Amino acid sequence: MLKKHPLITFIIFGFILFLISNRLDELRVYQGATVAIYVIAIASLILLIGYSGQISLGHGALMAIGGYAAVLVRINYDAPVWLTFVVAVLAAALGGALLGLAAARLSGPYLAGTTLALAIGLPSIANEFSFLGGEQGFIFDVGFPPASLGEDFTQYKWYFWISWSAALIVTYWLRHVLSSRYGRSWRAVRSNDVAAELAGIHVGRNKVLAFTISAGLAGLAGALLGMTLLVSPGAFPLALSFSLATGAVLAGVTTLGGVMIGAVTLVAIPEIALAIADRYGGSETITLNLPGLLVSGLLILTVLLVPNGPVEQMHARRAKHAKSGKTSHSPVELTLRVGSKTWSTKK
Amino acid sequence: MNQLLDMLLIGVSAASIYALMAISMVLVWRSTRVVNFAQGGMALLSAYFGYELVSRTGNFWIALPIAMILGAAFSAFIEFFLMRTLLKHSSQGPIAAIAPIIATLGLLGVIRAGIGFIWGHGDVQFEGPLSKVGYKVGETTLFISPMGLFVIAFVVALLIVVTIVFQKTNIGLALRASAYAPEIAQLSGIRVSGVRTLGWAIAGAAGAAAGILQTVNGIGGLAPESLEFSFLLVFGFIAAVIGGLESLPGAVLGALILGLVLAFVQIYISSTLGFIIAFLLLLVVLILRPQGFLGSKASRRA
Repeated sequence: MLKKHPLITFIIFGFILFLISNRLDELRVYQGATVAIYVIAIASLILLIGYSGQISLGHGALMAIGGYAAVLVRINYDAPVWLTFVVAVLAAALGGALLGLAAARLSGPYLAGTTLALAIGLPSIANEFSFLGGEQGFIFDVGFPPASLGEDFTQYKWYFWISWSAALIVTYWLRHVLSSRYGRSWRAVRSNDVAAELAGIHVGRNKVLAFTISAGLAGLAGALLGMTLLVSPGAFPLALSFSLATGAVLAGVTTLGGVMIGAVTLVAIPEIALAIADRYGGSETITLNLPGLLVSGLLILTVLLVPNGPVEQMHARRAKHAKSGKTSHSPVELTLRVGSKTWSTKK
Repeated sequence: MNQLLDMLLIGVSAASIYALMAISMVLVWRSTRVVNFAQGGMALLSAYFGYELVSRTGNFWIALPIAMILGAAFSAFIEFFLMRTLLKHSSQGPIAAIAPIIATLGLLGVIRAGIGFIWGHGDVQFEGPLSKVGYKVGETTLFISPMGLFVIAFVVALLIVVTIVFQKTNIGLALRASAYAPEIAQLSGIRVSGVRTLGWAIAGAAGAAAGILQTVNGIGGLAPESLEFSFLLVFGFIAAVIGGLESLPGAVLGALILGLVLAFVQIYISSTLGFIIAFLLLLVVLILRPQGFLGSKASRRA
């Protein structure tokens, strides 16, 4: 179904979400909106890590750029809401392009360190300059839901609608992009940049493009997060960047399919931690530290046990099962003989 | 004239701590090809060890070396149990390049949560035994205090010890050989895996010293979510990258450059620009001279 008619699947999924949102209480609706925001942010990270082979630990900072751009345009120029989201995407994409220009020349640890520095430093810059609202930041007011939606249509449900519409559009579009020419070029660059270059792919340009798109999506997520929360340094802490990395690894960086797993886990973990803390007397130490411990512990365990993510692991296992009965599907069979030993791709 | 002297003093005392941090990152990079982003968290944990020891024994001079040993032990433990397993398991697919980075982030989170469980979320006060008030020359107060002077002297002493160990002893030779060519070192009878653990241990000790000195020479407070230690990590990383990420003298040189540039900006321009300038410095170095000032060209790709 998903393979043949992706658009219809997405529309049906959206309709189911709409039905669900009518039956949930306010808190769950709010959490649902947060899941949608994480879906966008994690998808942008998967595009970057899994497809173009670059790493970013600074997506929290790019989200902050988007959030601040949106709220500043909204407050200073009273722009319509849809326009503020466009501005958020463009501003973050511009930041991402600048970063990407430097990033395209860097490999793993250098890029990780540079983006990490950005994630640590950028939120604190907002404290220094008064036009950025200082410590308490801004409220990003997207207005009340339209009256035509009825009396009991709450503000949180409005957030839910906006966030999920954005998330569905983004994932639909990303699915398309990743299976297009660009997605294939990115994967080629990731697998072997020398071979990609020989095949006529411009490696640097492709890396910068991937970084720009990823940053733009992060900016959109940042604006949405600012809408549901606040636009302030505290809304985009270093922990957010780390959570996103965790979400991406949990989702499995090589496929977009697991993105929901990552997003739901990130929202569920504080809930689970709270439940555990309640059971053990609800002490403050546990409530404060358990979410961080669970997220980080899960991150380490995932990297150790299922490094490519649960979805990919399942695919790999199924492929193995399917193969074990028949002969090799490999189109080319190689046999290598050295002395009396023989290696072959033939089973 | 006075301002220039202040700039030098501030710059050098900040640089000495960045140098320790940069050295610990370089040592870890050389031994396992991992940039340890949990280094700041490990330094923070060691500073908490120091705080605990001082409050138990009441003597800073005993606490400092013991905390450094504990920091080294913890670092070696991490290498032995986490990094070895990790490098063995996830060596395939697109995750292979980023798995160690992600794992060190997870480690950072675990360390912070652990600190929160043991010592609580509030600030704890950790003051050194020496005064932080600057020396007076005539009417003016200089920016260097007895504590600051001790920090510089201690770091210089540590650097001399590290240099002697690396250049004059067999252990140092083994460390250099395993970093330069692991296979050949293995073939010539060096137990490379053990040497790796040792490299992490020395890095842990250097990080512990950096964490404790940073605290007692700075605001004197510790907290699990300390922004100060995040910046310590970033500045250590920037210093290491300026020096080429491979070379120990490079790390010290990078720390001096970074410390003096930051001090210059702080005194002559504005104290709020520190991070932006450091970040621009990092970008400029990465774009113009990605192999650093004392690194070899080949070291960038890994």
